[in-house]
Amino acid sequence: MVRLLRVRGSSLWPDFHEGDYVLAASINTLGRKIKPGDVIVFQQPGYGTLLKRVQQVLEGGQSFIVRGTQITSSDSRNFGQVPLERVWGKVIWHIRKHST
Amino acid sequence: MLRKITQKIDQHIEVVDAHCDIPCGIYDPHLALIGALTVIRMVDLINDLVEAHGKDLDAEYLNSMARYVAVKEEHAELTKHEIRVIWGDFIKDQHVESYPQLPGLVHKIMQLGSKARQTVDRESGVALLDAVNEFAEIFWQIKDKKTKRVPAPFPVTDEMVVPLL
Repeated sequence: MVRLLRVRGSSLWPDFHEGDYVLAASINTLGRKIKPGDVIVFQQPGYGTLLKRVQQVLEGGQSFIVRGTQITSSDSRNFGQVPLERVWGKVIWHIRKHST
Repeated sequence: MLRKITQKIDQHIEVVDAHCDIPCGIYDPHLALIGALTVIRMVDLINDLVEAHGKDLDAEYLNSMARYVAVKEEHAELTKHEIRVIWGDFIKDQHVESYPQLPGLVHKIMQLGSKARQTVDRESGVALLDAVNEFAEIFWQIKDKKTKRVPAPFPVTDEMVVPLL
């Protein structure tokens, strides 16, 4: 399954800009292969559906440390590890709002 | 082509957050503008009071003067505070890249806010308002909102920037 999503916010700037679109594939589709550097879509209680880059894969892929690029990014520094069950999928295609 | 298609169906596309700070932060330079307009209003009231009382420093005069000065101090600081919050929490690296005048403008507002506290010079208050208006225009451009300048609907009618929401 894939989802088309619009990026809101700039915690992954300059890689992702506000208003960019991403196509994300579910982890079921991907066979749960999430690696450091992947950008994942996950549910975070109190934050909603988030987009962050995986910095570290823990416990054999059962949880992840995620990071934004900004000092003020809300990421694992704020809410800790992201367990696999809250991960919906990862970005497989990035459509920029403006061509570069 | 894919970009064009996505832009056409944009309203129906689900949003994913890559935000910073507290989610759904609410920022608006309106209070900074109100602060700057209040500074100008207090300067006008101070000068009117001096003109009306001359050298007659009675208790009523001193009370009114103290209140005007206190409000001027408070609102100059309010303006600086509001700009500092937007600068620190809302403005990101990419905004500074797009608007390279922002750091200098924010610093200018800090200095003009201090100047407005030091003096009872109307021009200093107007300079503060001008700088905050410029900041407000950039802020709303970042948020993809158009703005216009309108006479303030207050006893002070200097122009203020409002967003066209």
